[in-house]
Formats: sequence, C-alpha cells, structure tokens
Amino acid sequence: MSDSAPVKSPDTRPNRGFIGSLRRTRSLSTFIIAAILFVLFSVFSPGKYFATPDNLQIFLATEAEFGIIALAVGVLMIAGEFDLSVGSVLAFCSLTFVRLFSAGVNGVLALFITILVGAAVGLFHGIITVKAQIPSFITTLGGLMLWRGITLFWSGGQQQGLELENIPGLYAAIGGAKIGFVPIQFVWVVGITLLVVFFMSYHKLGNWVYVTGDNKLAARAMGINTDRIKIACFVLVGVAVGFVSVMQLFRASTFTARAGDGLELSAVAAAVVGGTALSGGIGSIAGVFWGAMVISLIENGLVLMRIPYWWTFTVFGLIIIFSVILSKIIEARRMSVG
Amino acid sequence: MPAGFRLPEPSRFFIPHPEIEGSAVARQRLIVRLLAYKVSFTLLVFIALLVIFQVFTPNHTFFQRPNLFALARLAPDLGIVALGVGILMICGEFDLSIASTIPMSSFVFVKLLGTGVPLGLNLVVTLCVGVIMGLGNGLLVTRTRLPSFILTLGTMLFWKGLLYAASRMMPIGIRSWLPAGSWLENMFVGIIGGVFPIQAIWFVGFAVLLAVMLHFTKFGNWIFVTGDNETAARAMGINTNLVKIISYVGVGVLCAVVGMMQCLRIESFTANQGVGFELKAIASAVVGGTSLMGGMGSVLGIFLGTLTIQMIENGMILLGLPAFGIGAFIGAVVILFAVLNKYISRFSTR
Amino acid sequence: MADVRSVSTGKPDDGYLVRMVGIDKYFGRVCALKGVDFRVKFNEIVSLVGDNGAGKSTLIKILSGFYTADRGEIYFEGKKAHIGTPRDAKALGIETVYQEQALAPHVSIPRNVFMGREITKVLGIMDGRRMHAESMRTIERLGLQIKDTGAVVEALSGGQRQGVAIARVLYFKAKLVILDEPTIALSVKESQQVMAFMKQLRSEGISVVFITHNLFHAFQIAERFVVLARGELLADVDRKDSSVEHLSQLVISGHHEEK
Repeated sequence: MSDSAPVKSPDTRPNRGFIGSLRRTRSLSTFIIAAILFVLFSVFSPGKYFATPDNLQIFLATEAEFGIIALAVGVLMIAGEFDLSVGSVLAFCSLTFVRLFSAGVNGVLALFITILVGAAVGLFHGIITVKAQIPSFITTLGGLMLWRGITLFWSGGQQQGLELENIPGLYAAIGGAKIGFVPIQFVWVVGITLLVVFFMSYHKLGNWVYVTGDNKLAARAMGINTDRIKIACFVLVGVAVGFVSVMQLFRASTFTARAGDGLELSAVAAAVVGGTALSGGIGSIAGVFWGAMVISLIENGLVLMRIPYWWTFTVFGLIIIFSVILSKIIEARRMSVG
Repeated sequence: MPAGFRLPEPSRFFIPHPEIEGSAVARQRLIVRLLAYKVSFTLLVFIALLVIFQVFTPNHTFFQRPNLFALARLAPDLGIVALGVGILMICGEFDLSIASTIPMSSFVFVKLLGTGVPLGLNLVVTLCVGVIMGLGNGLLVTRTRLPSFILTLGTMLFWKGLLYAASRMMPIGIRSWLPAGSWLENMFVGIIGGVFPIQAIWFVGFAVLLAVMLHFTKFGNWIFVTGDNETAARAMGINTNLVKIISYVGVGVLCAVVGMMQCLRIESFTANQGVGFELKAIASAVVGGTSLMGGMGSVLGIFLGTLTIQMIENGMILLGLPAFGIGAFIGAVVILFAVLNKYISRFSTR
Repeated sequence: MADVRSVSTGKPDDGYLVRMVGIDKYFGRVCALKGVDFRVKFNEIVSLVGDNGAGKSTLIKILSGFYTADRGEIYFEGKKAHIGTPRDAKALGIETVYQEQALAPHVSIPRNVFMGREITKVLGIMDGRRMHAESMRTIERLGLQIKDTGAVVEALSGGQRQGVAIARVLYFKAKLVILDEPTIALSVKESQQVMAFMKQLRSEGISVVFITHNLFHAFQIAERFVVLARGELLADVDRKDSSVEHLSQLVISGHHEEK
C-alpha cells in the first residue's frame, strides 16, 4: 500500500552519521558565529590584543573550563532538565579540594574526592528533581543559594592560596602544561567534546538521553528508566563541575568564595546558542561546544574592548532571550507537516 | 452581591477532606486530617519557629519589642513583592527579574527627586516603571510561549546591566532633595504613634486587597484556572494571555512600591536593593503552600510564608549565625518545602 | 441474535493465545474491572469496545504490564503468566501501540523503532546501519512506503507514524499486538492504511487486540468483538453473529437487549 499523502518537505537531508542534518546545520551556524566574532575581536580590540599569544592562551584556558561545564549542562538540557546551581557547586568543590589538599591529602586523591563530591551534589539535585517531581530549575535554584551559602560559611569568605609545587605531575596534567601553543585545558575540552559527541550520537545510552528529553512517556513505555537517565545527567554535571573546579584552582592557584558567580546562566546561554532546545530532546553537542566558544568570546571581547563589565549583563540577557526565541522559530519552521 | 463577586469555594483555601471509606476514617487521626489543610501546615511551621527562636535566642530577644519592630519594618519589603510573585505562580508563571525591577524603580524615583517634580507625579511615574517592566515580561512570556524562568532570567540580566550602567553602581542619597518629614515618607515609611511601622499596614492592606481579588472575584478564579489547566481555561473563553500579563504587571507595580519604600526607608538608592529577593519570594510562596505547578495557593499562605522566611532570617541573625549561612538556609527551605508540599498534596487529595 | 457469554473452562492450553480469567481491578474505591474474562485466539483480530469508563484501557494496561490486577489470572500460550512490568509483557511477546504512538518526534525512524532496545555492537555502541536496514525492511513488510528514510518522525503523517509504531512491534516478534484507539486521530485514508497494517500483522501469525470507539472500523476487520460495560464483560460475539447496529445497541444500552 503506497503512501500517497503529499509530504511538504522540511529540511530532512539523509542521515549521514550525526543525528539529523538539522543539528549539524545548527552547530555549523554557531561555528560560523564564533569564527566571525573571533575575527572581529582580533581586528577591533585595542592594539589587536585579542589575537596575541598571551591573551589567546588565557582565553583558551578559561574557555575550556567553561566549555566542559557547558557540555554537561547541554547534555542535561537534552534530557529535559536544568541546573542553575553550577556556579555555586563550583565554588563548593573548589573549597573542598583546597581544604583536602591543605590538610595533606595526596593531590590525585583529593581530585578524585572533589569529583565525587560534585557527583554527590548532582545526585542530590537529581533525586529531588526526579523523585519528588520538583521542577529542576527550582531545585537547582535552591541549590544555588544552598551551596553558595555553605561555601561562604565554611570559608568565612576568605581567599585561600594553594601550594602547587608539590604536585608537579598533576598540575601539569590539568593546569600548567601546554602542547605547543595550546594550553592543556583546551586539549581537555576538545577531547571531552569528542568523547561526548561520540557517546550521544553512537551509543545507545545517548539515544536514551535524547528520547527521554523528547518524549519521556514514550521512553518509559519502551522500558527506558527515565528517572535513572535524568539522575545520571545531573551526576554528570556534578562530575564536570568537580573536575573543572580543580582545573580552575590550578590555573588561578587561589580559591575565592565568589568563584563561578553567574556561571549557570552563561552555561545555559552557551547550550541555547548552540541549538539546544529548552524543552529537551533536541541539541547537538558540537553546537554546545561552539556555543560556549561564542559566549566566551563575547565575554573576553567585551573586556578587551574596554566596555564596562556591567554591559555584559545586558548583552547576556539579550543573548539568552534572543537565542531561545530563535531556537523556537527554527523548530517551528522544521515542523511543516503534522 | 455585586457582579463579579461570589463566595469563595473552600478548595481555594483548603484541600477538602479526602473521600475516605468508613473504616478508614476511624484510622485517620485528627491531626493528620488537619494537616490536609495546606495553610494550617504553614501556620504550624510558623508557630513552631516562633517558639524555637524565642527559646533559643540569647536573652529571648526574639519576641521583644525592638525585634518585632524591626521585623514589622522589614518583612513588608519581601512580603509585598511575594504577594505578587505568589499570585503569578498560581497562574502558572515565574518572575526571576524582581531583583532588577526593585532597584530600577528606586533609581528612577531618586532621579526624579533630583529633577524636582512634585512628589505625587514622582510616585506615579515610579509605579509606571514597574508597569513597564512587568508588561515587558508579560508580553515576552505570553508571545513566545517559552519557559518564563529563562525569559525572566534574561530580562533580569538585561535590566541589571542597564541599571548598573546608568547608576555606575553608586548609591544616591535622597536627603539633598527631600527634606525629612514629607508626606510621601510619612505615608510609606512613617511610624504610627511612634510604635507601629506603616509598612506593615501596607503589607496587610495589600494582602487583604489581593486576597479579595484572588479568592472572591471572577478574575481571581481565572488566575487559578489558568494555572491549573490553561487549555481548559482557553476553551472556556478566558484570555489566559491577558491574565498572565496582568499578573506580571502586578508584580512589576508591587516591586516599584517596594523599591520606593526601601529607598525612603534607607534614605538612598543602592544598586543591590532587592538582591536575593527572587528566591526568597518563591520560598515565601512555596512555604505558604503555593504549588510550583500552578493552580493552587492562597494569599493567606503567602502572607504567612513571608513572615516565616523573614523570621528565619531574623532569627538566624539573632542566634549569631553569620550572614552567609542564611542564603544557604533559604535555599534548603525552598527545596524542603517544595518536597513537603508534594507529599502533603499527594496525601490529602487521594 | 444470540450473544454468547464466555465461560472459563478452567483448562489451560485450550488453543488460546491469551486467557485472562476473573480479572478484578480497583482504583481506591472505584471498581474499574470486575470478574472480567477475556480471551484471544491464535491468529485472530479482536476488537474491544464499550463506552467510556467501561474498563477497556484498564484491561489492556493489565495485559501490557502497566497495571497489576487485584484478582484473577493471566495465561499466555497456555502457561500461567506473571506480568508485573511492561518489560515482562514484552518478554512474553505482548506489545502495545499507544494512542500517541510512544514515538520521539525529533528522533529518526530507526532510533524510534529500536527505542530502548537498540541493536548494539560492542560496549553499547549502536549499529546504526543495521538499525536503519532492519527498520526499513520491517516497514516495507508492513506495506508502508516512506520516501525520506532519514526523516525525523515529526515530519511524518499520522498514518505513517502509526505505521512506524506498528513496524516496531512487528520487528520485535510480537505474538500479541494491542492497539489503543489506533485510528482516532487519523483521516479516513490513514485509517484504512492502519487497518491494512493490522491485517498484515494477522497474516504474519500475530494476534491483534484493538480498542476503538469506531464500530464501523471495528466491524471492518475484527473477527470477534468483546463488549465491556461498567467494568464487566457484557458480550463476546463473533462477527458472523453480529452487526454494527447490534454492537452499538450493546454499547449504548450497556446491557443485553430484550430477546
């Protein structure tokens, strides 16, 4: 029996390995935006400072830290949930590491414990969101205040320095080394991105994350434990935050209690700019990578152009609003046939 | 009865007694059935905290006049805003931008003082700022149909940037333009008989007004229904977009009132007025039994919830806990009560 | 016209694919099903009809593992079966096609067909090529033609989506396929298409149970009709002993007509 209902064709180029060509298009356009911004800032920053090796190295390192977290946040958003607490958890994990390390705990062990702490926080958020069915943005908004408050309380608001001479190996691996010109942090983010891209595109659990966010009931009907998937994504965010907190510590060699302030919004912005839908089920990891690049470029670029930092708030506000609207329009245009 | 008024349905305030089979009733204890009333749970918590703080603060300073006076002066800042935020939550949306609306209105107010316009006009314009910002949020949310918490986070950042840019983050005192004793000050931050802060009366006044609106009028019913089942509300001809926009404007206006009140009270504008309020307001609403999903809540609950949150903050300071810890506590309280509300409602609407 | 009240013979393996015996189901105080017997033969299409609240959805949800019966037993292929979760049902070969097809709109067809049961190579990495080939082959087997095989499900018509959902159960070697209101949101042409799919399933040796309000559709392809009313079994008639009028009489009146 032939299907003769005419199909008004939305953009559905054949599947060539990534999930759906539209995701590729979106990550491509985000890449283009990033490239344009890169060129703009290189040309227009005072003294063309942006493109100098000094600035680029710092930029790539900070972008990498941000990017790793943005990737995890993006995966969580694909699964249909949000985490607004990442900035506070970053500070909390940062403090955890500093305390452990100053108390004499071995560097590598302290790193692992810090990552575990991050995972535990993620687990906490995940369980409450999923089991008690509280909207994730409320749970993590509460978490944002909770973990920041605990961090401030525990640290007394004081900064604390780190002595990194004792762990040259670890320091090099996460903080200090460079491969040629590229700082090691950037190598990490690229590696992690490739890994996550592969996982989400080719692994069955990646498919489960997508369908959980796309149609949770369908996933459950097909026997997928959506609760576990979502909780796993929350834990993933926690792990990423734990890891990056140490990375950042190594780079700055000081702990500040205000670390990560505003990180959560930037991470969501990065994901949205990269094509992740707020409703879940749609998103490309490559897009999130480039989205993080775009956001970092804007941050760094605004600073270099001597634009007072408060304008970054307004710019980000506009970016968030317009990105989500844009995502919705693109999605609506895709759906020509019911 | 005037048109538009009708007796409140009990289900707005309380969760009705569950239908229980004969033998089960005997097993239900009175306490457990009373707990089915969401507001009474909030009341219980409130009273419990009152007792705890009174007992544990050094020299029992909690329930004494100076402290109560301070509470009565400060709680309305949060409370008036929380009323608006809570009602918005009942119709199913969130506003995370109040931490920008409050200082922005304060800023406009002070700037206008500097230009010497009559106070009455100043008041009106300041309220209009609230209207505009609320309208912006409302239109954005209803036109784009996107999650309000993301959109209002965006507007929060947007306005914050503008505010910081315009004010250079410097505080601005009002005394150079407004000598003490003006009618505006007396109206909003005066102290009656030397003892009772007028802000408290404003808080109660707004609460009563909004309670009547929400629980007794047709429009109030529309708010509940829009939050509970928007599709059904639309099908019944209710303009849900308008309901939401009006609620957002309401939040904006209330924020403007509070922004101005704060400014008059501390006698200056500061850029970090209202910081942290967005979560505290949601916390107040949640503690007061407002559902995060929309469609359920009460003004009485929000009122008590605000007092509870403010009391916690106040009590913790008296107990000697450092200020840092309070934010943590508020965060924990929101999570705790959101979970509790879920279980209470699951229990009582069997 | 005679209508036959079914009686459980109490003997297993009397040629039925499924036998549900004496099923009771309560939700709190409300009785959704009481003493319902329901049988499906091998290789037949049965239509489950009845007015709203009759208990049709509840009955099939028990069969597909979403609910557990409070009383009664289920026999599958002659053996007593315990169906506690959807996975149990699937393991037996009972598959369900839902009203909303349980498809993820932004995901491709192969990934939808294999949702939760993806074909994997080592370590859980999916075998995209095989998934694509197998899903397309099954879809063709069903008689459905899809022009753009790389499309996401959202881009398909209602009838095509139903086809994808049915292809899913076909691939997984269902022995019994349950469809809950399969034609409810479809155009006339698409409904015919779906009913052709159901006939195709039967010709593959699979039994089909489908719930519908549309007695005309039911009468077109079902061989037997089971009528529920208010949680109880009202009638179990073969097509040859019935008509659309007869069925609608039963459904509307909720009880046997006077003889």
